[in-house]
Amino acid sequence: MASAPIAPYNSSPLGISSSQNASRESLKMEPLADVAVLPGEERVIDKEIIYICPFNSAVKGKVSITNYRLYFKNTDSETPVTLNVPLGVISRVEKMGGASSRGENSYGLEITCKDMRNLRFALKQEGHSRRDIFEILFKYAFPLSHGMQLFAFLSQEKYEENGWNVYEPLEEYRRQGLPNSEWRVTFINKNYELCDTYPTILVVPYKATDEDLRRVATFRSRCRIPVLSWFHKENHAVITRCSQPLVGMSGKRNKDDERYLDIIRDANGTIKLTIYDARPNVNAVANKATGGGYEGDDAYQNAELVFLDIHNIHVMRESLKKLKDIVYPNVEESHWLSSLESTHWLEHIKLVLSGAIQVADKVSSGNSVVVHCSDGWDRTAQLTSLSMLMLDSYYRTLGGFQVLLEKEWIGFGHKFASRIGHGDKNHADQDRSPIFLQFIDCVWQMTKQFPTAFEFNERLLVVILDHLYSCRFGTFLYNCESARESNNVRVKTVSLWSLINSDTSLYINPFYTPESSRVLYPVASMRHLELWVTYYIRWNPRIQHQQQSPVEQRYKELLALRDQYLKKLEELQLSDSTPSSTHLTNSSAPNAATPNQHITHLQTPF
Amino acid sequence: MELSEHIRTANVEDVTLRRPFHPALRGTLCVTSHHLLFSDRKDEDSWQLLILLRNIDATEKRAVGSSGTITIKCKDLLVLQLEIPGMEECLNIASSIEALSALESVTEMYPFFYRPSHLTLHGPWGLSSTEKYYKQTERLWDRWRVSTVNSDYSVCPSYPHAVIVPREVDDEKLVQSARFRQGGRFPVLSYCHHRNGMVIMRSSQPLTGANRKRCKEDELLLQAVIDGSLLGYIIDLRSTQQAQQARMTGGGFESKSCYSHWKRIHRHHERGKVLQESLIKLVEACSDPSHSVDRWLSKLENSKWLSHVHSALSTAGLVVECVERDGHSVLVHGSEGTDSTLLVSSLAQLILDPASRTLTGFLGLLERDWIQAGHPFQQRCAHSAYSHARLKQECPSFLLLLDCVWQVWRQFPLALEFSEALLLRLAQEVYASNYGTFLCNNEQERCAAGVKENTHCLFQSLLSPDIEEQYLNPLYEPTDLAIWPSVHPQSLQLWTGLFLRWTEYAQNMEEAREEVWSIVKEHRERAGPDRTNNTPSTHCDTLTPFENLMDELTIL
Repeated sequence: MASAPIAPYNSSPLGISSSQNASRESLKMEPLADVAVLPGEERVIDKEIIYICPFNSAVKGKVSITNYRLYFKNTDSETPVTLNVPLGVISRVEKMGGASSRGENSYGLEITCKDMRNLRFALKQEGHSRRDIFEILFKYAFPLSHGMQLFAFLSQEKYEENGWNVYEPLEEYRRQGLPNSEWRVTFINKNYELCDTYPTILVVPYKATDEDLRRVATFRSRCRIPVLSWFHKENHAVITRCSQPLVGMSGKRNKDDERYLDIIRDANGTIKLTIYDARPNVNAVANKATGGGYEGDDAYQNAELVFLDIHNIHVMRESLKKLKDIVYPNVEESHWLSSLESTHWLEHIKLVLSGAIQVADKVSSGNSVVVHCSDGWDRTAQLTSLSMLMLDSYYRTLGGFQVLLEKEWIGFGHKFASRIGHGDKNHADQDRSPIFLQFIDCVWQMTKQFPTAFEFNERLLVVILDHLYSCRFGTFLYNCESARESNNVRVKTVSLWSLINSDTSLYINPFYTPESSRVLYPVASMRHLELWVTYYIRWNPRIQHQQQSPVEQRYKELLALRDQYLKKLEELQLSDSTPSSTHLTNSSAPNAATPNQHITHLQTPF
Repeated sequence: MELSEHIRTANVEDVTLRRPFHPALRGTLCVTSHHLLFSDRKDEDSWQLLILLRNIDATEKRAVGSSGTITIKCKDLLVLQLEIPGMEECLNIASSIEALSALESVTEMYPFFYRPSHLTLHGPWGLSSTEKYYKQTERLWDRWRVSTVNSDYSVCPSYPHAVIVPREVDDEKLVQSARFRQGGRFPVLSYCHHRNGMVIMRSSQPLTGANRKRCKEDELLLQAVIDGSLLGYIIDLRSTQQAQQARMTGGGFESKSCYSHWKRIHRHHERGKVLQESLIKLVEACSDPSHSVDRWLSKLENSKWLSHVHSALSTAGLVVECVERDGHSVLVHGSEGTDSTLLVSSLAQLILDPASRTLTGFLGLLERDWIQAGHPFQQRCAHSAYSHARLKQECPSFLLLLDCVWQVWRQFPLALEFSEALLLRLAQEVYASNYGTFLCNNEQERCAAGVKENTHCLFQSLLSPDIEEQYLNPLYEPTDLAIWPSVHPQSLQLWTGLFLRWTEYAQNMEEAREEVWSIVKEHRERAGPDRTNNTPSTHCDTLTPFENLMDELTIL
């Protein structure tokens, strides 16, 4: 058949990484059907089972469960149907039907996943056939609820690169031009005594003493005082981040906090400090009831307060749930656009992006900003990291992006453990929320609007999200640095960046054109935002066949050819330089500007 | 009346021009017979804006004190504001624009006056024709012939002088069949598939009427098309009910009993006014100035534009399925056979035929299957989405085609040799142009007006080596396979390049496009320094330049 057929249904979220490993570490691995088992991965149970594939109807096969993954392969036909699901992805395992249920395939298991899909398996309706697999799955999918360890601590993977070294705080601050006469590095939090959810190394105003910091900490929720995230080398404006002030119902004030913010403002001599409160106004007011609140006009005279109207973790969780409903297993086709609209997902993306744009714009015009929400670890992290991505081209490189995540998300205590619920059986936990996913979606929207500005590609974003859940790497485990330190994560687990940096070619955007000084302002209008179909709808086989970008493939070929050529040219120049070099410099001059530059021709000119 | 008599004020000084995302400019405004010219009159580095009056879809006047503001809404969707000091001047300018932008007579239009120094009127006109296509397509020679039964346009006024028909059907039968089809549009060949020789035919509806008239010659003609094979498909672009109703007004469909070897499939397609209104709604939603754009997605959905894109692509997919997968010939028609019929048959060709995915091939396809096939461009494109004039025969069929092609390009970024820039250029040229290509409604009218003799050909100019490059896809890699686009709603996107082209987003994308080009160009120039003056088709060797350049290097 001479056409591009729909690819057979194959579900392998980590297909890229595991196949990579297969080639590199094949000697150390024993085969599991046909995927390579990771070092440290152990098989727990094999079972004949029926996979009720929502796209292919029921498929007979064998499922293997290891301490890391669930692997299914069909045995009933030539066309392979496989599932390769890290157990970390599972949020819920339920029994479906009972011993007396009628109807075909009505007795079995239903598995809800964190990555936009559900899996259903059917078993024979006899002799409690599902009991063992259910219990094993329940135990290994939620090891922390059963006094067991996450797989990251059992993995024996080895990589050439050590991803734990990608981020050295002092080095990163030095890159930004810090410390300097306005900002200093403090080790006051070295034992997590000032704030247990902050990193040990903080950058604060030069004029603020450690004593000042301690006093300010008493007035900020969970002691998350305003500290520097990013410094603008030319105009010396800064992005600082913190949690809400503890104003409360009585409208408490704190002289030290007020003075501290004024020192931040004064550091580069601007007249007004802008405080971005990520929350909607009403939510900020409501927080007063629980002791929180926002910076009042009277108390902070040289500051202006702007609310960015971004909703809380519960609203985002519900929105994603609605999105899942319309894309999995079947796409709601008849009223696709209005269904999509009713999830409000893109609207939330829009608010986060436009908040970050405001922050970036303020800073690039020379004004320092303070960003906070309630606790300063969700929306705040989104806003600071996105605005830094817009302002600083370093973060748009493959290495810089890792630094950005390590610093603004992991270091400053985005509660990955609570938001994702690693290894925890409590699927209905109200602390879970797709805040980080939403951030990655925003990054994807930016890469769409600026296809040549990012060194990394879409695949990196997808792999990051896959391992956000997989529990194979230590990178996204635990809520904050102090918890990671006490659990010895850096020693006992492997970093995701070890995997990524051991083969960067997979994650490079061939269109990337470095540009150092440009601030990227994406268009945050609904008209220009798209649903990230290749992530959210990637399990649908109809979507899947378009997933690999042929464009990228093609460019890589071209670039590889160019590199080869350049190498050859160098060799030749070494042997006989004159004729070839002059010849080629002429021709590689950039193409002359297009004619009629001055006349905007809406029609062809005269 | 002379055109110049419409101009009462030709020049106004101190006019302020406002454009989206640009600072306001002051300068001089001139009106000529065919253009609006704004110049900021700086000695050096002067900036000018030239708009073809034909491009103006609507104007709105507003008085502010002693001066007036004219809002100009163009057919290419740009909206401009001119602040003109002096109420009288303002009114004069506005009335000139109104009169001169809506000229009725073809020979008064700008293409008849456009005489650039680098083009001569005696150059070749057009790229393709029935005869050329026939000559190039050897697989036709055995069973098909070129008929000139319509050489004086008396059999079918909207057909070209030559058409391709089965060899065994003589001209007399064609005349009879034409009498039985609306507007005389009897079934003619549009495409013959290179893999299996199956064909796509197109026509208008048969005039069976309420009492189920038959036409032996028409039946024989279709029988000759499938030539002994047992089955052909008729894709009727109306719902079954609409086709039934058409009988009341003299139209109808091919009944099973008379066309026993043909299987009819009905697919409903909106046409005419409904499509035009859909475009108007879409453009309205896109140009809503409020930046919050609440309920944007609902508005987009309500415009139904994407669902028209969906129907066109999925019916084209159906045709392809019949031809490529099932190996049967297809006849496509709706009612008149001048809009959706052309849309579906040309899209099917793009999906099936690698030759129609090259720049020349695509333009040739447009020429044969739209211009010569008698799509009434002048009527359909008289107005675009902003006009307040009462709708007559306007319909954005061609724009819908371009949108569908764009969707195919987006889904298969390597498969088309031409770029989005070409589609945007065509979307603009079809409404207002310096060239004669899209003038008139059919070949007969073009002959009468002397279009070929007195205007320049757009397609020829697009292919001239110095401008062709901007319309090429740097990533083009030909494939022989059919390219089936996905028509799921989540796979179809708004064509932001067209509908949001006057926004900052478009600028970002334009810059990105240039960067991509320069990467490729750098590569290509390094790869083949001697080929800079070469003919366009050097693309195909982008995959193998390494070997070539190795040779060159050894010579060096």
